Amino acid sequence: MRRFNQALVLLMVIISIAACDTASQQRLPIIGNTQYVEVNGKIDTVYHTIPSFKLVDQEGDTVTEKTVEGKIYVADFFFGTCPSICPVMAQQMLRVHEKFKDVEDFAILSHTIDPAHDTVAYLKGYAEKLGVMNNDTWHFLTGPQEEIYELGEKDYMVTVGEDANAPGGFIHSGHFWLVDKERRLRGFYDGTIASHVDRLMNDIKKLQAEYE
Amino acid sequence: MNRYTLCLGLIILLVTGLTSCGGSSEKANIPNNVSALSNKERQYFTNGQQLYQTLCVSCHMVSGEGLGKLIPPLKNSDYLLANVPGAARIIKYGMKGPMMVNKVEYNQPMPANPRLTNLEIVELLTYISNNWGNEHGAVTLAEVAENLKEKAD
Repeated sequence: MRRFNQALVLLMVIISIAACDTASQQRLPIIGNTQYVEVNGKIDTVYHTIPSFKLVDQEGDTVTEKTVEGKIYVADFFFGTCPSICPVMAQQMLRVHEKFKDVEDFAILSHTIDPAHDTVAYLKGYAEKLGVMNNDTWHFLTGPQEEIYELGEKDYMVTVGEDANAPGGFIHSGHFWLVDKERRLRGFYDGTIASHVDRLMNDIKKLQAEYE
Repeated sequence: MNRYTLCLGLIILLVTGLTSCGGSSEKANIPNNVSALSNKERQYFTNGQQLYQTLCVSCHMVSGEGLGKLIPPLKNSDYLLANVPGAARIIKYGMKGPMMVNKVEYNQPMPANPRLTNLEIVELLTYISNNWGNEHGAVTLAEVAENLKEKAD
């Protein structure tokens, strides 16, 4: 009995330490539906990957998968006149931008879900009001609504859509995705909560370390 | 060691283990200038804090600092402090178009909150005008009612 109790104490100590997530130095997970295909008699693993896309950013530059080639990036969905969670998401994304903007192989893609309103000119003003004066790292993206919605719902697996009952007329998720250089999803964070964004910034470093 | 102490030990371990995970809960911080207000006004302040966290915080932020040149600050806001009861109209009916706050032009629409009662608006105003270094003092129901008398355009 005594032995058992000692083991239990040890177990609980381990659990409480592990819960703090300080010791976890393991690789980030690869998120999404993983498929296995047979290639020449061997099983190959196919991960969920963000496909090719073509949108325009706040400087009027075309942004495609080539723009983020060889880069780790963070993606989210927002709209300029959003009266609910977008400002706090922007505040949190600004922290990420501040910390990683000088890193060569890093980018941020913020997709508007209201492209009819959020034109290139509008997004340029929006970015500048946030204090983002160039598109070196952070791209505010607009483009055909169907393409953005498909990218959001199918590829980034977030909720986006028009809803007359939602504040500002759109519903969307406040999440940030961490995407690796192979455009695989590696982390999912609530962009409205500072501690989640701290974890994101920590995970960006972990992911950078995978490529070193 | 008997089983009772062991159980107790386990519970203590678990609790310390969990609390050590850095979940620092923010306590309601009552500024000094608010402590000087009456009981009723302190109650307004505390209720206002709850409302603020539900309705306002995601734009005006936890410390009332706003966001860049997009969302105006409430902290040290010359616009707000020049006419605190007048801000009742903005809270209730929303606002559109450009405005100058601390010499910076902002032009982001603020949504209306038509369901708020006059009392809730007093609570919100008490909170935002006496927090983060703002020291407006008491906001009364009468002055808020006066400002809301005329309907929105």
